[in-house]
Amino acid sequence: MSRPLFIALLLLICPLSSQGAEQPARVVSINLCTDQLLLMLADPAQITSISYLALEPNSSFMAKQAKQHPINHAKAEELLTFKPDLILANEYSDRALIGLVQKLGYQVETFPLPSSIEGIQGNITRMAQLLGQEERGQQLIKQMNQRLDKIAQQQLAVRPKALFYQPNGYTSGENTLQNTALQLAGWRNLAAELGIQGYRAIDIETLLLAEPEQLFTSSYAPGSQSRAQQQLLHPALKRVTAGREMIEIDYKQWICGGPMIANAVEQLHQSLPK
Amino acid sequence: MKLPLALTQKQLISGLSLILAALFLLSLFIGSNPIPLFQAAGDALLDTPSVIALIFTEIRLPRTLIALITGATLGLCGAAMQGLLRNPLASPGLIGSASGAALGAVCMLYFGLSSAVPMALPTGGMIGALAATLLVYLLAGREAGTLTLILAGIAINAMALALISLLLNLAPSPYAVQEIVLWMMGSIANRSMADFQIMLPGILLGWFLLMGTGRSLDALTLGEETATTMGFNLPQLRWRIFIAIALAVGSAVSITGAIGFIGLVVPHLLRPLVNHQPSKLLLASAIGGAILLLAADICVRLFPAGTDIKVGVITSLVGAPFFLYLIIKSRRSLL
Repeated sequence: MSRPLFIALLLLICPLSSQGAEQPARVVSINLCTDQLLLMLADPAQITSISYLALEPNSSFMAKQAKQHPINHAKAEELLTFKPDLILANEYSDRALIGLVQKLGYQVETFPLPSSIEGIQGNITRMAQLLGQEERGQQLIKQMNQRLDKIAQQQLAVRPKALFYQPNGYTSGENTLQNTALQLAGWRNLAAELGIQGYRAIDIETLLLAEPEQLFTSSYAPGSQSRAQQQLLHPALKRVTAGREMIEIDYKQWICGGPMIANAVEQLHQSLPK
Repeated sequence: MKLPLALTQKQLISGLSLILAALFLLSLFIGSNPIPLFQAAGDALLDTPSVIALIFTEIRLPRTLIALITGATLGLCGAAMQGLLRNPLASPGLIGSASGAALGAVCMLYFGLSSAVPMALPTGGMIGALAATLLVYLLAGREAGTLTLILAGIAINAMALALISLLLNLAPSPYAVQEIVLWMMGSIANRSMADFQIMLPGILLGWFLLMGTGRSLDALTLGEETATTMGFNLPQLRWRIFIAIALAVGSAVSITGAIGFIGLVVPHLLRPLVNHQPSKLLLASAIGGAILLLAADICVRLFPAGTDIKVGVITSLVGAPFFLYLIIKSRRSLL
């Protein structure tokens, strides 16, 4: 008997009850952030469909695993053909669509976009519960916490000043994952210190006056050209950081909150001045 | 527009230069944060310049210089065009040179060519400006009336704008589509000394070509035939001015976007002050254009930081009513 067939038979014989709670068998996710948590926590057999964005390698941390699942474009008709018993969305998903499928009697769970480690842990725990995969959820959180704790133990006496700089001059202030990651890695986030809340444009003179020692960026569309992206190449930026190049952190580590934030924190930590 | 006192050319030029110098200084003082400018200028000479010196040399100086040479280019080219076409409504904006230049620059920037070869950007602008100007000129014909010229300009502007919008939609960058405003309205914010250096060669070459055209333009006021019998080679003059405009406007617009109405308004305001003499109008309009754009850019910077108002908004707010006034004034000849 071939191995996959054997496993399939085995799965048929002993239904996946080992994790205890009742498990939804046909889960459809319509948002990149829920896609990723779903791919991390569910049994592949539970995943009926994920959004097309999950395949995009620059923004999806789980792009490779996503390839084996049918995709959707978050359109009502499309969703119904999957006969889902659970639909996953996030707080910014299309309200009208969610209202519609709820009216038709489908269970929809919306997840917030976290900006803190607690928020990420909360999302993982909740997702794991919904999927009946509590143990995997706890495991995932444990691994992430261990990696973060390790970094927390190796901090510099004086935290150097950093700033996150994106096309069109956008930066990440308080209540952003970038702020959380910078702090955990051992940097000061100047944007938060300047009182910036969330994502906002910072004027280049203000940026220079704050005298960052290191600038970080995270490309959303690497290799493409625009005036917005050219702004990152302004020569003054390199001069104010004493010639230090802007460091690029993969966008997929923090476009959504998830355990991959530990990758970003580790990368930020490694770029601390020696 | 009669002026109570008659100014000599020398007085006019020195007066305008004084205003320009004052605005130049003022422009260096105005930014989102007050910095001690004289100390900054001193620090700029040090081996390791301070942050305020960086703001001075890398942010404010390039911005001021770019405003200066772009404004001068638009004013000068407007004056040359109005002289050549003997048409009060001719200007880089209305004739399509500016939007053609923007189209050329967009082709180069968003598809990666200008990041490989920086000079591709102004070159694209020059080709676009030349193509659009020639198209309007050919469409309208050599002896075009004001109305024909304006209509041909509208058609080419619309075409260029449609193509810019199409290209920005097709561009791989997710930021491209939002930047249509930048190309339509123009902006000098966040530019660097590198941008200034990229635009400078084409602009200087264009200015240089226009410098010697004054006498021919004076002769042209007497009519084409008279000018020809006086020994001026008009086809050569035409090409010289068109190429100069393409070089200068193409380079400027490829960095700043199409900033409207300067080329139209400035020569008009100054013409009575130079006794309607095109040769004297050229230099005066160049300085006047620089004054207008610097003033507009200072104005933009006075808005609270974070409000990203494009400088073209200000020049258009000043220029459009003026354009209407010109139309009303010349309504009889238009109809």
